[in-house]
Amino acid sequence: MRIPDEEHALAKAAREGDQNAFAGLVRLHQRRAYLVARAIVTVHEDAEDAVQEGFVKAYQAIGRFDTSQGFGPWLNRIVANAALDIARRRKVRTTEELTEALKSPFRNPAEDAELKERLAVALAELPERARSVIVMHDVEGFTHAEIGEVLGIPGGTARSDLHHARLKLRGLLKDMRDDA
Amino acid sequence: MTDELKFPASGERSDSIGEPLVSLIREAYTPPDAAAWPDAYWAGLERRIMARVSETAEKGWWAELVPWARIGLVAATAIFAVAGIVNQQLTEPDDQVAYEAVVQPEITSASDEPIAGQYVAGETDAAALSYYLSN
Repeated sequence: MRIPDEEHALAKAAREGDQNAFAGLVRLHQRRAYLVARAIVTVHEDAEDAVQEGFVKAYQAIGRFDTSQGFGPWLNRIVANAALDIARRRKVRTTEELTEALKSPFRNPAEDAELKERLAVALAELPERARSVIVMHDVEGFTHAEIGEVLGIPGGTARSDLHHARLKLRGLLKDMRDDA
Repeated sequence: MTDELKFPASGERSDSIGEPLVSLIREAYTPPDAAAWPDAYWAGLERRIMARVSETAEKGWWAELVPWARIGLVAATAIFAVAGIVNQQLTEPDDQVAYEAVVQPEITSASDEPIAGQYVAGETDAAALSYYLSN
């Protein structure tokens, strides 16, 4: 895997204790890390917590990071684990709460409100791993291997999960499609 | 209902959920503040992350030990409790003896005391033997 020169330099400097270099890595990777976390926990505040926790853990473990590898996959695995921990603690959260949390980011709530609410409910109903795989692959462009690395599953399993997750999401949104 | 969300028909090769749905998911998973002020939101998150990182760096290796501190404390308490119980059980017989020695002074019966002139086995025999040998 080709690692961008900037990232490689930042990772090396961060390993030697340069906090400014680590801030550079945060700047490069926080958006993707947020999406990985959000796909797992679905709630914005929990996703932020997971991202912060993930970066702090990455900083603590930076001495063990192999700079010949990409920082992103390594970080995303840590963030995903932090998100999974939070998700386990929040199992009691209701579908209604998830739906509200998913609806809130839309800039114009009146526009396609029904459509978005159905999508929010469908995403919330998807199993955690199915939702994560769809978001990581279809929205953020992770490869099957990268998803497997982040979620701790083989790449082939990620591919199979993605197929089933798409089928399930389509099934949940079927009436939406029929109406269209 | 909008046509934008039409999925690929079953005969189509693509297994993708389709760009319109991808856009909606991306929009749904955008942080609330990032939708309106993306630069400010991400700069703010970076500051918060780095504040926590700096805090961790100041604490140094102690920060890594904090999660273990509670477990260590519970384990140490349990070990002390068990050691205390075992120690108490081991020293109890000695204490009992010492206690009884203090609160129950030895009471000897009158019959145990030797009476003057009474035959005491051994002592009298030795005296008799000494008398015969000397004469």
